[in-house]
Amino acid sequence: MGLIIIVALVGMALLAPVLTVPNTPDPAQMPRDWGALNEPPGTPGHPLGTTTSGGDVLYGLIWGARTSLKLSVIVVSITVIIGTIIGSLAGFLGGRIDTVLMRIVDVFLSIPELIFALAIAAVLGPSLRNIILAIAAVFWVKYARLIRGQIIHVKQNEYVDAARVIGDSRLRIYLKDILPNSMTPLVVQATLDMGHVVLIGATLSFIGLAEAGLAEWGVLVSEGQTGISAGRWWVSLFAGGMIFLWSLAFNLVGDAMRDVLDPRMEGR
Amino acid sequence: MTALGVTSTAGPSSQVADYVISVRGVRKHFPIKEGVLQRVTGHVRAVDDVSFDVPRGKTVGLVGESGCGKSTLGRVISGLTDATEGGVYFRLSHAAKDRLDELLAIPEAERSAAEGRELAEIDRAHRIDALGKDRWREYRRNCQVVFQDAFASLNPRHLVKDIIGRPLRIHHEASGTQLTERIVDLLESVGLGSQHLYRFPHQFSGGQRQRISIARAVALDPEFIVLDEPTSALDVSVQAQILNLLHDLQEQRGLTYLFISHDLNVVEHMSDRIIVMYLGQIAETGPSEQIFAAARHPYTEALLEANPAVEGGARAVTRLKGSVPDPARPPQGCRFHTRCPVVTSQCGWEVDDAVTEAELRDSGLDGLSGVSRQSAFSADLTFETEAQAAAFVAQLQAQETPEPLAAALTELRQTGTDVSVRFQPVVPVRLERVGPDQLSACLLHTGQQPAAEAVAR
Ligand SMILES: Nc1ncnc2c1ncn2[C@@H]1O[C@H](COP(=O)(O)OP(=O)(O)OP(=O)(O)O)[C@@H](O)[C@H]1O
Ligand code: SF4
Ligand SMILES: [Mg+2]
Repeated sequence: MGLIIIVALVGMALLAPVLTVPNTPDPAQMPRDWGALNEPPGTPGHPLGTTTSGGDVLYGLIWGARTSLKLSVIVVSITVIIGTIIGSLAGFLGGRIDTVLMRIVDVFLSIPELIFALAIAAVLGPSLRNIILAIAAVFWVKYARLIRGQIIHVKQNEYVDAARVIGDSRLRIYLKDILPNSMTPLVVQATLDMGHVVLIGATLSFIGLAEAGLAEWGVLVSEGQTGISAGRWWVSLFAGGMIFLWSLAFNLVGDAMRDVLDPRMEGR
Repeated sequence: MTALGVTSTAGPSSQVADYVISVRGVRKHFPIKEGVLQRVTGHVRAVDDVSFDVPRGKTVGLVGESGCGKSTLGRVISGLTDATEGGVYFRLSHAAKDRLDELLAIPEAERSAAEGRELAEIDRAHRIDALGKDRWREYRRNCQVVFQDAFASLNPRHLVKDIIGRPLRIHHEASGTQLTERIVDLLESVGLGSQHLYRFPHQFSGGQRQRISIARAVALDPEFIVLDEPTSALDVSVQAQILNLLHDLQEQRGLTYLFISHDLNVVEHMSDRIIVMYLGQIAETGPSEQIFAAARHPYTEALLEANPAVEGGARAVTRLKGSVPDPARPPQGCRFHTRCPVVTSQCGWEVDDAVTEAELRDSGLDGLSGVSRQSAFSADLTFETEAQAAAFVAQLQAQETPEPLAAALTELRQTGTDVSVRFQPVVPVRLERVGPDQLSACLLHTGQQPAAEAVAR
């Protein structure tokens, strides 16, 4: 179920230039039809209606998927890489390096994710790139801690001793034995975060931390919000629905993966 | 048949090495950490001063109950963990071993500079934690391990081909098609075949998995293999097959084994010499036939009797009573005295034993409010009431108290709510020669004087 939604949403994101006529010069910006403000769904040329500034809602949803995909893929890649490096150093080398790195991680973890990301994004100024940076800056710690725990656990496996006995080097033991066997929960976490990142990203852009006019779901929800009391429900509802679908789908798939891949992880 | 050649690839130095491994005074203590600050509050003495030799081409069996330090000793010997104290020597000749023992017998403070240099030289050439890079590599090739749990010792994500080929690749022994040939040879030598190359460990039975780890262990044509309970996780029928395989490989390749097990049957079948361990120390050691025909140490006897294959084995349950003491606080005197069926008053009775004895009774320790301990052999116990103190004394004077314990008490005196408990201090029981080639650590047959006189000296 979740997988089907993911395929549909990602397909939509990838095919955005085919499904719509890309806006020029920047297709990530909403096209403006100043002759059709606040049109309801079903209007010819605007099947899902328009926003107060004449943006086509369908265009926003489709290109918003592309923005979300970009946001989540970049953030998750960055955080997985940084988290793996830091977590590996701490878990594999141990000792003082471990202590220092984990202190830093603890500090990060003591601040709620959303508030922390919000603060960073606010300082950096409104743009999608800064949202990416802000979320990445907050999320890597989770991966660092996860990988560290896994590595400390996997390191104790007898096959690691077996590799030492045949005389393999520490680096190769790390690359061949320890890291590959530490990755399972990371993959699960990364999948869950694909949804999570979009939710936080939408929240940040909702409160105005993305560029104005960006084809992004959070921006759309925010734009449509003023019209809700006037009965113009469609903008916020459709955009909000997309955010919901995206997060839900990755959560479903992530949870399913967790159950299949590693039953011991339950309840973490 | 390249990999199956009988000749060893070892260098010329191996020609004179009569002992593949010599262990000298090895201790391994694990710190016990407690609390948030991880303060060290004590040490688990997993291995506590162990010395023995493994002669070339022979099998030395290492037996003892669970937790007595067998695996830890095996890990120290194979270089997986550093010893806290003592050394493991590789490839000593008779002469070098004798000289080493002479040098080690001299206390460090009394060693002359020349003797110190000589010792350092032996260390550099033979002691595994002091070897140079090349010699360490040589050791790494020549000392392999087969672990108890074959499944855990095989990386679940690696193919059999990669598992067995890995040592060959690391040591640049072979590559390409030649590598595959060598791997198939190895698989065949352990009773598997080329059809198994591209499978993962979980696709095999327990016995087959152990064959795979054996193939990996012999891939580099090592001289010496530590077998850490290689069959104890297997069905009885499979056990015999694996033991036969190990036996055949030993004959074909001139291997030397350290065979760790808690099963005396298995060890008897495999070993030339036997070492019986108890709580991190050697209780008895000697040639296999000697140990089985004429064990001297009461612990060995108890183990033999616990062995169902030996006649009268059923009695054993009643003989080897109680559980193994905490290796962080090993008993005084003879470590076996808390469980020994023939224990004497000289064997190391201490305050802990008196307290344990009283604890066994209904009200022996009621109202104990404080202990001030001068030594393991002397303490003052404070009770809440005089009656409770009197009850404690009465318990220890009662009939049920083992006679040797009662006899060892030099003082059991009540003053008000206090009871002072004193035993004669003793020194640890040492391993001593009890036959031409047999050592045992028991007062009964070694004539040791562990009591106060010995301490006074
Ligand atoms: N890494 C470690 N840290 C702390 N204590 C340890 C460690 N390894 C072993 N020990 C302790 O050292 C003692 C000896 O353990 P060891 O595994 O050597 O026993 P063993 O004779 O091999 O037992 P078994 O028959 O169960 O394999 C035990 O009390 C164990 O708890
Ligand atoms: S010294 Fe001998 S008799 Fe005494 S407790 Fe030890 S094994 Fe038993
Ligand atoms: Mg063990």
